[in-house]
Amino acid sequence: MREKATTLYIGPQHPGITGNMMVRVKVEGDTIVKATTEVGYLHRSFEKLIEKRNWLQSFTLLCRFCVPEPDPVEESYARAVELLEGREVPERAKYIRVLVLELARIASYLLWYGGQSASLGLYTIGQWSVGDRNYILDLFEELTGGRVYHMYIWPGGVRRDLPKGFENKVLKTMDYLEKRLDDYDDLMFDNTIFRKRTQGVGIIDKEKAVEWGVVGPPLRGCGIRSDIRIDDPYEVYNKLDFVVPVEEGGDIWARALVRRQEIRQSIRIIRQVLDNIPAGKYYNKIPNPQKWALPKGDAYTRTEAVRGEVGMYVVSDGGTHPRRAHFRGAAYVHAITLLENLLVGENISDIAAIMNSLGTCPPEIER
Amino acid sequence: MSFDLKGTLKPLTALKQFGKKPHTLVDVPSIPLEASDHYRGFHYNDLDECIGCGNCSTICQNQAIDMVPVDGIEGKKGDSGLRPRVDHGRCCWCGLCVEVCPTGSLSLTKDYLYVSDDPDTFLWTPGVDNPEGKERISFFSTEETSLNDFGRIPMPELEGMDRVKSFAEVVLGYNEVQARAEASRCISCGLCTEACPEHMHIPEYINAIARGNDADAVRIIYDNNPLPEMCGKVCTRRCEDVCAIAHRGDPIAIRWLKRYTTETVKNADMIKEVVNPDIQEPNGYKVGIIGAGPSGLTVAYYLALKGFDCTIYEAHAKAGGMTMYGIPKYRFPEESLDKQIEYIQKIGVKIHFNTKVGKDISFKEIYSKYDAVFIGVGFPKPWTLGIEGEDLKGSIQAVNFLYEINNGKTVDIGDKVIVIGGGNVAIDAARVSARLGADVTILYRRRVQDMPADWEEIEGAEDEGIHIIPQAIPVKFYPDKKGHVKAVEYLKADMVADEKGGRPKPVPVEGSNTIIEATAVLGAIGQQGDYSFLEEEFSEKVKIERGRFVVNEKQQSTLDKLFAGGDAANRSADVISAIADGYMAVKGIEDLLVKGN
Amino acid sequence: MEEIKSTIIQRIKTHFSDATEKEYPYNRVDFSVKKETIPAILFYLKDEMGFKHLSHISCIDWLEENEFEVVFIVWSPTDKIKVFVHTRVDRENPVMDNVDMIWRQANTYEREMREMFGIQFTGLEAPEEFLLEDWEGPPPMRRDFDTEAYATNTYWERPGREDAKDIRETIEKRSGEILPDFAKKYTR
Repeated sequence: MREKATTLYIGPQHPGITGNMMVRVKVEGDTIVKATTEVGYLHRSFEKLIEKRNWLQSFTLLCRFCVPEPDPVEESYARAVELLEGREVPERAKYIRVLVLELARIASYLLWYGGQSASLGLYTIGQWSVGDRNYILDLFEELTGGRVYHMYIWPGGVRRDLPKGFENKVLKTMDYLEKRLDDYDDLMFDNTIFRKRTQGVGIIDKEKAVEWGVVGPPLRGCGIRSDIRIDDPYEVYNKLDFVVPVEEGGDIWARALVRRQEIRQSIRIIRQVLDNIPAGKYYNKIPNPQKWALPKGDAYTRTEAVRGEVGMYVVSDGGTHPRRAHFRGAAYVHAITLLENLLVGENISDIAAIMNSLGTCPPEIER
Repeated sequence: MSFDLKGTLKPLTALKQFGKKPHTLVDVPSIPLEASDHYRGFHYNDLDECIGCGNCSTICQNQAIDMVPVDGIEGKKGDSGLRPRVDHGRCCWCGLCVEVCPTGSLSLTKDYLYVSDDPDTFLWTPGVDNPEGKERISFFSTEETSLNDFGRIPMPELEGMDRVKSFAEVVLGYNEVQARAEASRCISCGLCTEACPEHMHIPEYINAIARGNDADAVRIIYDNNPLPEMCGKVCTRRCEDVCAIAHRGDPIAIRWLKRYTTETVKNADMIKEVVNPDIQEPNGYKVGIIGAGPSGLTVAYYLALKGFDCTIYEAHAKAGGMTMYGIPKYRFPEESLDKQIEYIQKIGVKIHFNTKVGKDISFKEIYSKYDAVFIGVGFPKPWTLGIEGEDLKGSIQAVNFLYEINNGKTVDIGDKVIVIGGGNVAIDAARVSARLGADVTILYRRRVQDMPADWEEIEGAEDEGIHIIPQAIPVKFYPDKKGHVKAVEYLKADMVADEKGGRPKPVPVEGSNTIIEATAVLGAIGQQGDYSFLEEEFSEKVKIERGRFVVNEKQQSTLDKLFAGGDAANRSADVISAIADGYMAVKGIEDLLVKGN
Repeated sequence: MEEIKSTIIQRIKTHFSDATEKEYPYNRVDFSVKKETIPAILFYLKDEMGFKHLSHISCIDWLEENEFEVVFIVWSPTDKIKVFVHTRVDRENPVMDNVDMIWRQANTYEREMREMFGIQFTGLEAPEEFLLEDWEGPPPMRRDFDTEAYATNTYWERPGREDAKDIRETIEKRSGEILPDFAKKYTR
């Protein structure tokens, strides 16, 4: 009997991703033979809008590039502007930035716990982890004034100093989370369903991984130790002691294991930051934003986000507005060329799990 | 496939969480959580602090903030009278508006819940619609966090004790880098333009400087001020008093920026080249101007551009009026003035020097010869104290003293000079005396903070070692055997609050008499007009009140073709008001002659 | 690192005579080449010099110079150095070579540049539409496409905000100041 290929439209509303994106798959039986990513549901033309804003104003748009983890975008933009202008950032601000970045990393991983497990039908972990993420959002609210969109890291440093007693609250939350991670292990990593659904699924070829543009946890899940925080260090990461976890296999399971260990590393980093944070200024004031012109030139900064390498390419023509601010998102590569490649030969029921394991974030593609 | 017992049982440990309370809501769902202490919620605006500068509205990239009139708030100098209204359908609560608010009146509160089925009610005027927000402020800017640049770029100056050695200009002027940096502090609200009597286009020329286009700045300045270098050096700069940035920091150095701009055009030819004025064909009307002071020069310049034939009659050898003969050269060097006069002459204005009206030419002749006449003769005659010994030798009027010195003459003042008064003339006389090597003391009847002189001048005087004795009322000058002044007796004064709410009055304290020695006393308690040149037939018809011509808003006196301006018509007694009078008179004369009304 | 950087510059310059370099005080080296050299230099960087990772491709519209600038940013995981390869493309006839056979993901960047800037890549195989749908206007990321004018012409303001006032105008009117037209471009 000849099998006939059928075309299925997965998305744009979809449990595998945060945001809207569609994958058009051609299946034979329930095996995918061709996958095509369709985007265009979220285009807000941020990069064009940024060209119409002055150097400071755009920082409120940046956080909208990726909702679950906005801070790396803010940070890479701020750092690119600082690099262009040659502006110094106080040491304390750098520590605070690392603190914020790592808190955001944890919050984002907690969201991933929910997404990854829910894509396999395990809903309880998500209820817990998203609830626990709220504790981190509480911290953000106190530090930055906003729960989700922080708009806190800006050129020259950070917007406000740490509030009184904030360090203790962070430490308490970290202690709590560390205990909770064991509960997650019980439900997720020790769970036979999770193991069986993820092991050997969505395998990325280690040989090809780098040239395919795989970054972040998916790359580390291929056994390649690569992390911008170590390779191209920024802020104060070169002064902190942490391990970049690596797993062999290249499948969803390996990627999940990497993320599981990274939360613990982030907690470790946060504790070090709070131990070592120096006193002093947290902000080197920028001039009047209306008339703040940057010297002609370009700068490209990269930051390690949970999805992998994100970057910001900023070009100045010497004026008060950016000539171009171009964001590089990990999902731009992961969710299109890599995903299209990876899905071939997989089962329909694994699409959501694979997408989630790649950290697919459509807002980052469309900007 | 083997059965994974552990992996099947482990997930069941989830059951131990059964019955735990959710932590996100206090009492599901009726009481929302209290926001944190730094939450960015709805706006609150302190309406009394707010000056309606609109910086919040400018920074808002969502165009969520409109500036609207609010009942009960009237615009005044330094306050546009408008207040921000927030469209909460557009606001993203980034708080940039708070960070750029120069007064710190705008803040965000802890409130974050508002429900209505009418979309139009999402337009709020913070502070008007939510007065209770005052108690709920959670996100605000301090001088430390504010994005306004509160610190002025310091003006390079000669050192205090070096200055008194010569008449070299004290203020050295900004260089290009300093000027750009200082201009970049400006938020371009334009509140200053209303405070300026001449309504100069301040935000525009500052912006031109900030963007590195000095030539445009010069053009914008010359649009309504033909003597900008004069203003750039000695203006009383009321614009800086209302500067939005001054509410929490140093005002933008508007005067110094103007000075910088005018210094980029080095001579009269360059000014003409840069300003490139559009001079119209002669229209046949002739205008006579009495006095080549700031007001007269302004009238002549703008009328000449419009094609009028302008002739100025000046009693002295040089133009500039008080700015030439009253203001000392360390503040306003002669070259600066010459350059500007030369430019005005290049435009086609004729100036007859050493021609005193009433002596060398009669007023009547001028009045009949010209289609319109402008009087800008200033206040040449000093007021006297009216106390014993004032006519002694060595008791000199400060304006006369400054005239002689500026004219290159010498005046014998000895080594102990007492100056009486607290205005700019008093400070000028004191600082000139210090440069002549005298030990100088200023007696002023009120407190130092009440002095009408510029604070920078007062500070400058103090830096130069001049003593100021405030709350001192002179009562008598004592002569020596030769009839020369020897000492001054004064009474200490108490400041008594004015019952009518005016400024406190100095009341002499009985028996507090103090005598200090002096080799010269310079009186500087003000000047008055001298209109003796007006023939009777004119002085009868033209209305003069309290020593000033009565004029309408176009500077027209009670005689149709006679206009007046400057000190002789306004109470401000400063250069910029004189220029403003001149500018208005131009309109008046044009309306009268060309438009016929 | 300085040593590695100078080796890179030397090797590139011997192989590509049209390459001009620019050095930065941190781990970055820039080259500018003719657009025809792009595939060759990228191949060389990737296969011979270890710049395996394509970090970014960006495009800038230099409207005043009537050119597009296309920038390729590559990263060497072994040397920990970024190399930027800049090239200029004529704005009137924006055509350059497709490079997605070097890195597959370049395909996505090229699709976007084609759509947003109107640059044509010879040999690019990809669906016509990427982010936009049924768009008939000019490529929107070009500098001469005015987003604000487009929005004003296409959409309309919600009623209720007509009473908004301009501060400068309000003060100008109240004080009787007459702002000349040539100065208005400096009003905020």
